[in-house]
Amino acid sequence: MASFVAFFFYGTRLQTYNALREIGSGLNKLKVMKEKARKEAIDYMVNVGKAPSDPAQRVDQFLDYVTIMPVDIDPAGLVNKIDHVVTTNNDRVRAEVASLMSQSNPVNPVTVSISENLLEVATALNILHKVVRHFYLLGKKTNSYFTLIQLQMLMPMIIQEADAYLNAVDSFKVGQPIGDGIGAAVVSKYMVGKEKRVIAKDTVMAISEYKGRKLYVLKADGPMAYVGQPGVAIKKVVEEMGVKPTAIVMIDAALKLEGEKTGDIAEGVGAAIGGIGVEKYQIEEVATKNTIPLYAILVKQSILEAITVMRKEIAEASDKVVTVLNRVIEEKTKEGDDVVVAGIGNTLGVAQ
Amino acid sequence: MMSSVPGNDKKSKLLVYTVEECPVCGQKTKRAFTVGDYITKDGGKCTKCGNTARVSLVYGETTKPSG
Repeated sequence: MASFVAFFFYGTRLQTYNALREIGSGLNKLKVMKEKARKEAIDYMVNVGKAPSDPAQRVDQFLDYVTIMPVDIDPAGLVNKIDHVVTTNNDRVRAEVASLMSQSNPVNPVTVSISENLLEVATALNILHKVVRHFYLLGKKTNSYFTLIQLQMLMPMIIQEADAYLNAVDSFKVGQPIGDGIGAAVVSKYMVGKEKRVIAKDTVMAISEYKGRKLYVLKADGPMAYVGQPGVAIKKVVEEMGVKPTAIVMIDAALKLEGEKTGDIAEGVGAAIGGIGVEKYQIEEVATKNTIPLYAILVKQSILEAITVMRKEIAEASDKVVTVLNRVIEEKTKEGDDVVVAGIGNTLGVAQ
Repeated sequence: MMSSVPGNDKKSKLLVYTVEECPVCGQKTKRAFTVGDYITKDGGKCTKCGNTARVSLVYGETTKPSG
């Protein structure tokens, strides 16, 4: 009876203590993870990139670097503004990473791209830790039961995401293809042995042929850890090269829902591309303007599988994707047609 | 309570392999991944026809933890 009365009056307080304890434990894990990712990035630059001086101070500055998104109260032309800001940021990061290593060494683009990706992972973990710490301290300071309970409920998902980021470091360091690169891996089969040309920043294109159709196949330039600019590339093919494609087929990794099987293939229509939305907008724009149908082929995977070494189920789906792609081309186009085939995703460990 | 932070439970190990495929006869050879391997990279000689094989897949396979 006494414990019932105690719980009746102090239950919320007890639950608050419990939430604080659990969030505190998760926060410690996040701190260890972000420190590890930072150390791995520095070690990679020193050991592989042969940085002539200690890059720790510059790396710490990178981790707190902010990208200020353009104002959106007047949305006209917003995508171009976002594109400008993001491109400026990417160029700056690459130039600075290269300068950290290039003083005594010729710059290896694979090493620079891997360093960029390692820094992105360290930055993501740093932000995750900071945000969780903010709400933890705010909840503690204001003794807000609901703030803490919400954070406590989210902690398993946050830790899972952080764990995925940390696991990605191991794959990036040794240049292994990641699950997100399945689109690039599939189209590389159509590009191998063909003449390649740079069509946009970090993006290459080759012309291939399938059953009387001319294929304009494009992907990010591998085996560097690039995602390229498929939006710019497709726009150039259509608007600058004067190609009139009957279809644009995009192959990409897609996040699966719990219960779905890794490596399952889904077909659909629309621009199969993630990211901030700039590339998607550019592709939709050019497709709509020129009334080109957009077809999508997606390979299902979890967030962990997408950013760590490609799992067997995903790699083995590539032959099935080729079959689906060939069928889509045969069904939706006829002999003599031009088709754009775009392999979307991070092309680390996937050349062409 | 309603949820809990996952602990450091025993994780299954991921072994990474490289598959080389002969573009002429289609013979596939699976070996352990070595740093520098990438998809489309030229591999060793095909054991069946002697042509140069090419790296066609790199993937990780999970193994059950022992003990």
